[in-house]
Amino acid sequence: MRLPPFAYHAPDTLDKALKIKAELGASAPILAGGTDLLVHLKHRLASPAAVISLKNIRTLKGIEVGADSLVLRAGTPLREVAAHEGVIRNFPLLVKAVHSIGAVGIQHFRGTIGGNLCLTPRCLFYNQSLFWRTGKGQCHRTGGKDCLALKGSESCQAICSGDTVPVLAALSAQVTIASAGGMRTAPVAEFFTGKGESPFNMTPEEILTEIRIPLPWGPLSSSYQRLSFRSAVDFPLINAAVAAILDKGKVESFRLVISSAGPAPVILKELESAIKGQKPDPAMLQPVREAAIKAVEGAIIENASASKEYRVKLAAVAAVRAASEALGLENQPS
Amino acid sequence: MKKQLLSMTVNGEEVNLAVTPNTTLLEVLREDLGLTGVKEGCAEGVCGACTVLMDGNPVRSCLTLALEAGGADIVTVEGMATGGNLHPIQQAFIEHGAVQCGFCTPGMILASKALLDRNSDPSEDEIKTALAGNFCRCTGYRKILEAVSAASTGHTEPRRKE
Ligand SMILES: Cc1cc2nc3c(=O)[nH]c(=O)nc-3n(C[C@H](O)[C@H](O)[C@H](O)COP(=O)(O)OP(=O)(O)OC[C@H]3O[C@@H](n4cnc5c(N)ncnc54)[C@H](O)[C@@H]3O)c2cc1C
Ligand code: FES
Ligand code: FES
Repeated sequence: MRLPPFAYHAPDTLDKALKIKAELGASAPILAGGTDLLVHLKHRLASPAAVISLKNIRTLKGIEVGADSLVLRAGTPLREVAAHEGVIRNFPLLVKAVHSIGAVGIQHFRGTIGGNLCLTPRCLFYNQSLFWRTGKGQCHRTGGKDCLALKGSESCQAICSGDTVPVLAALSAQVTIASAGGMRTAPVAEFFTGKGESPFNMTPEEILTEIRIPLPWGPLSSSYQRLSFRSAVDFPLINAAVAAILDKGKVESFRLVISSAGPAPVILKELESAIKGQKPDPAMLQPVREAAIKAVEGAIIENASASKEYRVKLAAVAAVRAASEALGLENQPS
Repeated sequence: MKKQLLSMTVNGEEVNLAVTPNTTLLEVLREDLGLTGVKEGCAEGVCGACTVLMDGNPVRSCLTLALEAGGADIVTVEGMATGGNLHPIQQAFIEHGAVQCGFCTPGMILASKALLDRNSDPSEDEIKTALAGNFCRCTGYRKILEAVSAASTGHTEPRRKE
């Protein structure tokens, strides 16, 4: 399968990359590891004028542990994230999430953490070859005016499928975004718009430069759970992460995020206050199950390789497993 | 589309050529350099048949722009044998019947080399993880696992049967 024609820029500084971005905007996407972008180009889901490679920009690679946070530069290869001592020590759930992405040979060396967060949302009717798509008509993202999966939907409902997304949201990570005009930061949770056709709160002139995860302020107890048909290669059918602070037998804070449901990760906010201050108790799991189902029922539509009904059930399973593990409870049958 | 210069090392030899930016590493290796041991199965990152080593790491050559390999050290299956002798992993694949149609074999061998170069005595689970992104539609994988295990340092004859 051949790629469409485009120009190739490999600037050696962020400033130069931002200058090109300021000029070309959406017609020059960032090429990080390319393991998502190149598939899109081959399927003619994009035909950009140019791509901007991060290959030569040293300042966009590497990991630093500061006094209060761990910084992952956007262009850091996934393998380095999972092998970094500071990540392993502080955030075992992130290591697990990175290991569960695709397969070693697909993207663990070439793929980047920034590319995983900016992964284009996926849909059964979108991530297909041009030939396949010509049989179905156009959707919001391919030049049409409707959603092929949910007739009448005003926006694209494609699925945010990155393995690290719920983890970074549960850990209250912040993104740093740069443009020729300057830098800004935003919580990962607000980075997602909920619209598949423009999934990120990032303009075409901007580049994601880093992800900053605050170091836990108490003993972190966490979990990452994902369910997929095959344990390797396949994208998650659903994934969930819990980050809790457990001190002296009490839950000091609790955040559960479910993703791979709709275009944005879903944070189960109401559980946070309900569980905070309590002792971990198996009785907490029924409310977790109910909250998970309620939260994803409005987000999941018929646009994946499993039915909506099945994915809603999986969301409850993943949420309960994640909560059980993080709260140190016996896994309850779900 | 303007061509750009690309310099890289392929199987120990420096190569310099001009490529259009939309050329994949797979296309350069197969079409410009004649290294047809690099196979194109799915062309979209799923199957692993196109696996090559880039600075020692297994990567999908179908999802890597040739220009991204500038300055890199690339190894394809053609670069495994030395002095007319097959690499021990290649030998093990033959001895264990780990090859049927052979289409997945170059990718399997390179993914195995990447693993064994890092971890000379992997457990079966570690081998499975390292090869999880390489599909074989013929062998049923058992023989491949046996071959990789036989090529590892911890292997002692005769091999344990399950
Ligand atoms: C067979 C296969 C299986 C896969 N399985 C999984 C899986 O199980 N889980 C999973 O999460 N992913 C999976 N992926 C998708 C992908 O490989 C990973 O998500 C990977 O982490 C993407 O990173 P990358 O650096 O290669 O991204 P790229 O392809 O380089 O970029 C992805 C998108 O983000 C944009 N982008 C990248 N970096 C930046 C930046 N710094 N600033 C602004 N925009 C940016 C790009 O323009 C592009 O639109 C799979 C891919 C394939 C081909
Ligand atoms: S041809 Fe590259 S992964 Fe299938
Ligand atoms: S031997 Fe035929 S695909 Fe593996």
